[in-house]
Amino acid sequence: MAKSWASSWAVNLRNIQKFFGSFFQKRTASFLLLPAPGRWPLLISRLLSIATALIFGGIVFTLCGYDTVRLAVDVAQASFGDLFGLEDLGLIWSPLILTGLAAAVALRIGLWNIGGEGQFYAGAIAATWVGLHVQAPAGIALLLMAVAGFVAGAAWILVPALARAWLAVDEIITTLLLNFVAVLLVTYLCTGPMRDPANAVTAASAHVPYEIPPLLDDLHWGFAVSVVLVFAVALLFGRSVWGYEVRVAGANRHAAEYAGMRVRRRLMQVFLLSGGLAGLAGMLEVAGTVHRLEGGISNNFGYLGIMVAALAGASPLAVLPASFLLALLLNAGIVLQSYGVSKYAVLALTGLVLLSAAVGERLAYYRLAPKLASAR
Amino acid sequence: MIDVLTGMFVTALLAGGVLLLGALGELIAERAGVFNLGVEGLMAIGGVTGIIAVANGAPALLGMLCAMLAAAAFGCVFAASIVLLRANQTLCGLALTVSGGGLAAAVGQSYSGHPAAAVFASVHIPLLSALPFLGRAVFSQNPIIYVIWIILPLALHALLFRTRWGISLRAVGEDPAAADASGVYVLRVQFAAVVAGAALAGAAGAFLTLAYITSWSDGITGGRGWIVIALVIFGGFKPLNMVLGALLFGLITALGFVGQARDWPVPPAFLSMMPYLATIACMILPPLLARQKRSRFLAPAALGVPYFREQR
Repeated sequence: MAKSWASSWAVNLRNIQKFFGSFFQKRTASFLLLPAPGRWPLLISRLLSIATALIFGGIVFTLCGYDTVRLAVDVAQASFGDLFGLEDLGLIWSPLILTGLAAAVALRIGLWNIGGEGQFYAGAIAATWVGLHVQAPAGIALLLMAVAGFVAGAAWILVPALARAWLAVDEIITTLLLNFVAVLLVTYLCTGPMRDPANAVTAASAHVPYEIPPLLDDLHWGFAVSVVLVFAVALLFGRSVWGYEVRVAGANRHAAEYAGMRVRRRLMQVFLLSGGLAGLAGMLEVAGTVHRLEGGISNNFGYLGIMVAALAGASPLAVLPASFLLALLLNAGIVLQSYGVSKYAVLALTGLVLLSAAVGERLAYYRLAPKLASAR
Repeated sequence: MIDVLTGMFVTALLAGGVLLLGALGELIAERAGVFNLGVEGLMAIGGVTGIIAVANGAPALLGMLCAMLAAAAFGCVFAASIVLLRANQTLCGLALTVSGGGLAAAVGQSYSGHPAAAVFASVHIPLLSALPFLGRAVFSQNPIIYVIWIILPLALHALLFRTRWGISLRAVGEDPAAADASGVYVLRVQFAAVVAGAALAGAAGAFLTLAYITSWSDGITGGRGWIVIALVIFGGFKPLNMVLGALLFGLITALGFVGQARDWPVPPAFLSMMPYLATIACMILPPLLARQKRSRFLAPAALGVPYFREQR
């Protein structure tokens, strides 16, 4: 009995040795690189990588002398503890849904819209301007503000989109640099032409008289609009010829052109839609939550939207859970601030989640192939 | 008038120096086929490391060295993810930008707003510094300026185009499979290039906080890491062309400062926009005027494409 137990251990050890030996020596033979990852490996690797990043972040916080468990409990309590916290979470969640959707839409055609932050500001500017200058019944005024926000966001991405479509200019850099221009433009408007003369303390515009009606107490109908837009965009991209052409153009531009698809036109349409969605997020933030134009109004929503899209992997429906995760992370940042930690620490954590997700996604392409050597 | 021009040129050399230093680092990585979008984050890490090192009694040069080491450490993480694990370069670059900027802002919170404890001192070169215009603009600067504007670009040019090592590096960026077949260790070269580039980005950050602005605050990099990436493209992936590009960008930045100092009838926010708008113009105008997509052929052929030996 004892002997066989020992020998089976020896066999096991030898097997383990063999396994790791093949792992290190014949690396190319023991892994299969799949052309595309399976659905489940992708999902599992994504969840695992997010968990890894959060655990790593927790370890760093613990090493810095903070009580990570209490922090997590605090975050959970601040987010889910009562209806009030839940509504606040919704208020962070809904702009993230739209900025994430904006970036995800651009990813459908294989391009990056890193300028969500700028388009958000552009939409906020236009919506504020319309809200301050148009006299109309509230419903019509809000609709006009939404249209203005969408158009301004689309206009903000127009030059990078044209340059990408016709001159092959890298869209990442041009869209990103316009973010800084938008921030400076808001600074200028809030200290100059649009500044509220009655408000001597903060540089902000006057109060916009039109408000989006509340869905609950604090949470406004903008949240519902964002969620509905996610489904609408998912339908558009998943169930229409247009969406199919966009996907083909993103996967292989030349094949799409050869098949007679108008790649440049699709590219322009997708980019304008992407910019418009980010602009709409800015409008909802002005009309629903902040009610005026001010410097930090975007709260990094535009940048975080890129992470949302990256985690969602360009799938519009997956934007919902991905943006929820980032909303929770933002809430963690707010709790952290009450501990005296810089609010930027949570930005480092989001970056870590993104890095880990990118690595995890690639790992999902590999499959162990133990029989490959004998098959030859 | 001559005073204004001199001041402008001094600022241009400092502002452009930050960009050039970062761009040379980015060039090394891009020539090896790696598109490093994390320069902004690496610069922030370098900048805050430099400030912290100096605040703890290190001289400015040691501060810059620490910044290079810190940025190189982050470069190692980045290289491990994209070179060894072949993760998506764009995603990892963005992650590096975000986490680097966030981490630097969190760590540097208590140093924010204070002047740097030690800065790169300017050295007046005897005789030459007495020259009318160039004297103050060029020969009364801190000596690092010469390293950035003359020695480093020439050295990099020689390294890339005149050495065995350089041709291996470029081969890896153009056709990693061919380079692999001829005995170049593709992943090793890419890893080294990314780490070296990251170190230079860190040095650029330290130059920003210890020589140009001489203090630290959140978001001090202000998109310079992205302008750096544009500068590499604008310079046609050649170190010596990038010197001219950096000087142009530096002059545009300096023009904004001159405008603010002399009360031009343009709101300061618009003057601050100029570097960004000029960068976008520099990205769009050359292909627009050339009417051919030359810039695409200037870029290394395998830029941004991860290399799988199995998929040759």
